Amino acid sequence: MDALKTLVGEGRRDEAWDRLFRLAREAADYAVVQSLCRARRTLLALGPAPPQPVRIRLAVLGGATTTMLEEPLQLLLHAAGVDATLHASAYGTFAAEMIEPTSATAAFRPDVAVVITTPANLPSWPAWNASTGAADAVADEVGEYWLGLCRSLHEHARCDVVLGNFHPLPVRPYATAGAKLAGEPNRFLRAVNEHLARRAPPYVHLMDVAALAALHGVDRWFDARYWYHAKQPVSFECLVPYARELAHLLAALYGRSAKCVVVDLDNTLWGGVVGDDGADGLLLGEGDPVGEAFTAFQRYLRRLKDRGLLLAVASKNDEAQALAPFARRPEMVLRRDDFAAFVADWRPKSRQLRQIATALNVGLEALVFVDDNPAEREQVRQALPEVRVVELGDDPAGYPAAVDRSGWLEQVAVSAEDTARTALYEADTARAVVRSSLGDYDAYLRSLEQRATVAPFEERHLDRISQLTNKTNQFNLTTRRLTRSDLAAMMASPNHLTASVCLADRFGDNGLISVIAARGVGPDLWIDLWLMSCRVLKRGVEQLICNHLVERAKAAGYRTLHGVYLPTERNGMVKDLYGELGFGRCGPIDGGDHWSVEVAAYRPAATTIAVVDAI
Amino acid sequence: MTNDAVWETVVHIMRETFDDDSLEVTRATAAKDVAGWDSIANIELLVALQTALGVKLRTGEIAGLKNVGELADTLTARVRAAGR
Repeated sequence: MDALKTLVGEGRRDEAWDRLFRLAREAADYAVVQSLCRARRTLLALGPAPPQPVRIRLAVLGGATTTMLEEPLQLLLHAAGVDATLHASAYGTFAAEMIEPTSATAAFRPDVAVVITTPANLPSWPAWNASTGAADAVADEVGEYWLGLCRSLHEHARCDVVLGNFHPLPVRPYATAGAKLAGEPNRFLRAVNEHLARRAPPYVHLMDVAALAALHGVDRWFDARYWYHAKQPVSFECLVPYARELAHLLAALYGRSAKCVVVDLDNTLWGGVVGDDGADGLLLGEGDPVGEAFTAFQRYLRRLKDRGLLLAVASKNDEAQALAPFARRPEMVLRRDDFAAFVADWRPKSRQLRQIATALNVGLEALVFVDDNPAEREQVRQALPEVRVVELGDDPAGYPAAVDRSGWLEQVAVSAEDTARTALYEADTARAVVRSSLGDYDAYLRSLEQRATVAPFEERHLDRISQLTNKTNQFNLTTRRLTRSDLAAMMASPNHLTASVCLADRFGDNGLISVIAARGVGPDLWIDLWLMSCRVLKRGVEQLICNHLVERAKAAGYRTLHGVYLPTERNGMVKDLYGELGFGRCGPIDGGDHWSVEVAAYRPAATTIAVVDAI
Repeated sequence: MTNDAVWETVVHIMRETFDDDSLEVTRATAAKDVAGWDSIANIELLVALQTALGVKLRTGEIAGLKNVGELADTLTARVRAAGR
């Protein structure tokens, strides 16, 4: 903190912002975060903050006081790469703000609205001795009340909504008997939460306040003194964890979360050092307490892989030694093919991590590094400041929680592409083998036997499309980050043409991998959005989707197709894409390049992909 | 903990909260005397003081303290009640 104050005092703004964000990521204490908020205010008075990858308009609504949460939330969002312009509504006005089409919240045109609530905001409760039927009816009614408010705001403001669910009360006046009472307050709150979880539409993201309160303990989570004084929804002890969870959820909506967890092997995945103890001498599995702890950690990591995170190994070992336990020890929960990358050699961990990032085609900031050795963690922190390094602690029993609480693993939905992701990477390896054996690139492409569906955006694909818009950096012409609501609006708009491509080949199904959207203005059609997963680069999808859009433009009567390339640090590869497809460069626009082609003059580009109705 | 030690903590935390290392604090200092001492700053100040001194103020004590002197006395009483 003192170092930060010095940097601020000396006017060394860039270093100060950097230091501020690092401290913000580690801070847990409310007093520390308050100091950081003060430092942020001072820095903002000196000049604008460094530009962030994501800028959003965020509305905050509360049935509780949100004031104390707002600055910490903005600070933590900033540290997660999200620049949020905030609009907070007056205390207690959430219902009117969400119902009225002309509310100040709707007029603010938020991208996302956060609704902060407490059990005190529930409109009705069942009688303590209500029948099960009566109690469940009230739970459904209350659940619908909240979802109705969210639907109303979504319709008026076209935004996504983050809604907190309800934490348990800190007392059990009905004691054990309460478990059998349908109208018991905590049972009722659980029923309301269940209704919300089952019925929330895709544009509502539930923040699991009940789970957070359980993790911290309801007694620590809720401080009745500050509720009575100031309608505080959360204690000051837990305010920072609350704000941090919310910040990470919002960041994840915009793709700012990890894609790959890189783990060490010795004393991280198993007890012992395989080079010294041999595969048979390692502590793993039942029969040894430490072994059980490592097995439990492997089970936790496999669950991360289930929902779409990639796992990778970065180990200082001979590769054969590193692989031995996977083959020899039946207690290993994780298998070699659970890992999308496996690096075992004697180079520094930072080099191994760079190799993994390149192999998986992700940025360094998408990696989470897990290693029991503090010296290795420090080496990586210094050499690769973008990589998230988990403070693992020194007891394997605590490893799952340490990784779980790192905050960088948030994910709001699971798509088919997520559950198949590791398999997709395996198929890529198979394709690479074929590629290297066939000299002629065209012959290689034909040997893939690619087939694709190309169709306008569909409701069932919107989560995946949103994920692509938020995570794709390289093959991305305009780098617009979009939520589900934004995409639904494009789908519904009569002036927009949208298309997405799902691609399969003889090695497997890649799922939905490219998206294009264009907006009509008179006889002109402007491509606002065009991106593609880099995993299918130069296989003909670029040509396929462009040909398709021109056909649709022709059918809709547009004369000229316009494309815009907005340069960023990461998208240099598509600088000349429009030129390669036969567009002519018109001149500069918005800091980038404006290209166009007459629809009638466009010559469809060749592609080896067969278009089918269904994959 | 001596009364002086509690007082030192109060002054230190006030200077932190109001971001002013040279802030003059006496027993008579009240909210109206300090720029930025609004109801939010009041809560921040009390939270920081309770954390620093390891005590919890009662619901009735969180508002209604007239000046820093009363605040220090209330905190000292809590510290004593905790046996320190």
